Amino acid sequence: MRLNWKLMTLGAESRILHGVWNNQELILKIRPSKSYLIDTIDSMLRRSRTSRESRMLTYARSLGIPTPCVHWLDLEQCSIVMDFIEGDSLKNLVANLREEKLRIFCRAFGKLIASLHNGDAVHGDPTTSNVIVDRTEKLWLIDFGLSERNATIEMKGTDLHLIYRALETTHWKQQEVMLQSIIEGYSSLVGPQSNLILERMRDIRERGRYH
Amino acid sequence: MVLISLGIEGTAHSFGAGIVSDDGQVKSNVWDMLTPSEGGIHPREASRHHSELGPLIIQKSIANAGIVPNDIDIVSFSRGPGLGPCLRTTATMARTLALRLNVPLIGVNHCVAHIEIGCLDSGFRDPVTVYVSGGNTQTIAFSGGRFRTFGETLDIAIGNMLDSFGRDVGMRFPAGPKIEMASLDASTFYELPYSVKGMDLSYSGLLTAARRLYSEGVAVSDICYSIQETAFGMLAEVAERALAHTKKDEILLTGGVAKNNRLTNILEGVAERHDAKFHRVSPTLAGDQGAMIAWTGILQYNAGDQIPIPDSHVLPKWRTDEQEIIWRA
Repeated sequence: MRLNWKLMTLGAESRILHGVWNNQELILKIRPSKSYLIDTIDSMLRRSRTSRESRMLTYARSLGIPTPCVHWLDLEQCSIVMDFIEGDSLKNLVANLREEKLRIFCRAFGKLIASLHNGDAVHGDPTTSNVIVDRTEKLWLIDFGLSERNATIEMKGTDLHLIYRALETTHWKQQEVMLQSIIEGYSSLVGPQSNLILERMRDIRERGRYH
Repeated sequence: MVLISLGIEGTAHSFGAGIVSDDGQVKSNVWDMLTPSEGGIHPREASRHHSELGPLIIQKSIANAGIVPNDIDIVSFSRGPGLGPCLRTTATMARTLALRLNVPLIGVNHCVAHIEIGCLDSGFRDPVTVYVSGGNTQTIAFSGGRFRTFGETLDIAIGNMLDSFGRDVGMRFPAGPKIEMASLDASTFYELPYSVKGMDLSYSGLLTAARRLYSEGVAVSDICYSIQETAFGMLAEVAERALAHTKKDEILLTGGVAKNNRLTNILEGVAERHDAKFHRVSPTLAGDQGAMIAWTGILQYNAGDQIPIPDSHVLPKWRTDEQEIIWRA
């Protein structure tokens, strides 16, 4: 596709470009080579994550989770062309939301993660930067490069631990309200097993620390 | 008049004492590390090491600084996190000195001290810190009045992983430098588990797989090379994610494992990619030592933070983000 792509963001592992084709706004996500890694690791990471992301965007949608549609995948260049979702990240919105609205969004976020877990998949990087809220206030999940299938209780517990960590590093002021609402939404869809997963989340939090 | 701080560090296997003045001069920095002839560190043995050598090390740090005990204006000590017996031995010495000299006592967080001495050493104001040692693997950045841990190991620390593998193949503690040397002779890379979860990472699977390669007869140099490239690649990724997330423009590498040249080289690459500055803390300030405690003690004291002796119990599980960093607010 010969398009006029414009650089939108330089992420940790990717370049995100924006372009228009047939009046449709698209995103080109490229995982460029990193010169400071040895070639074997560099190409393993770029290829596996690009392929994983592309597969999971589709799988997650089959579970009822709004995700951008994939139009093109190039495993040589390690790039994906997908729909552009107009909106703002939950990360950027949090500070200016009323508590009631924040709770609604967080409950919805918890439900999206629950749907993914109910399909035995984990997101792998479930931060508020990877949730987009569109104009109709619908939530979309993006950035599935670290996602995994055949998820165990341990993997689901880790996913929740990562949400907890994202809240305490980025949204410390709203941390409690957000965590409570996310867990509320999550548990409502996961059912009784959520207790087991939440307990594992607390275990994981205590590991790796001095005792 | 300059203010003179004595800093005492003793959270794990090292005991150190350093003298630092409030104009940022490290006047002395003396330490000794317990190196067991075999096996790992036992907390009780480490605390005995501290109580036997501590007084001598403190005396030496005072002598090397060219001062007398009465010149000391504040006594700072590592209050946590760390091994309980080691912390208590260290705290007892600090309390005794503060009482004897009749000067304020300052309780310092060990992890915060690594960051602050790194900032003094580099001139950085607000870095993403990659703190790698025998007991810690953390990515930390200042945000909303506290140092927040953006990522850390979910199981074992990177230094612990290196030492455990080294011990299996007959390298003496600490094994990190020997693993780095051995990797220079490698010819083949073997794939090992690469485990990054968000900004957290895990090294236990990598250790198990490396041990398996060794039992299968793979050359030690090749395994060392593969361990380094994989483990450091993971660190680079979480550091890069933290940098992109916080939008800061400095990377500070500190802790005992910061002495590794390959890790330095990889993180320099990360910094370059994001137009960020990079600094590796000077070797004498990278490991566990007293100067970092002394310097952080000064920052806390100047911000009005000192601790009455009856309240100065140690905090073995003191999390980095539990302390209000009043001197940076």
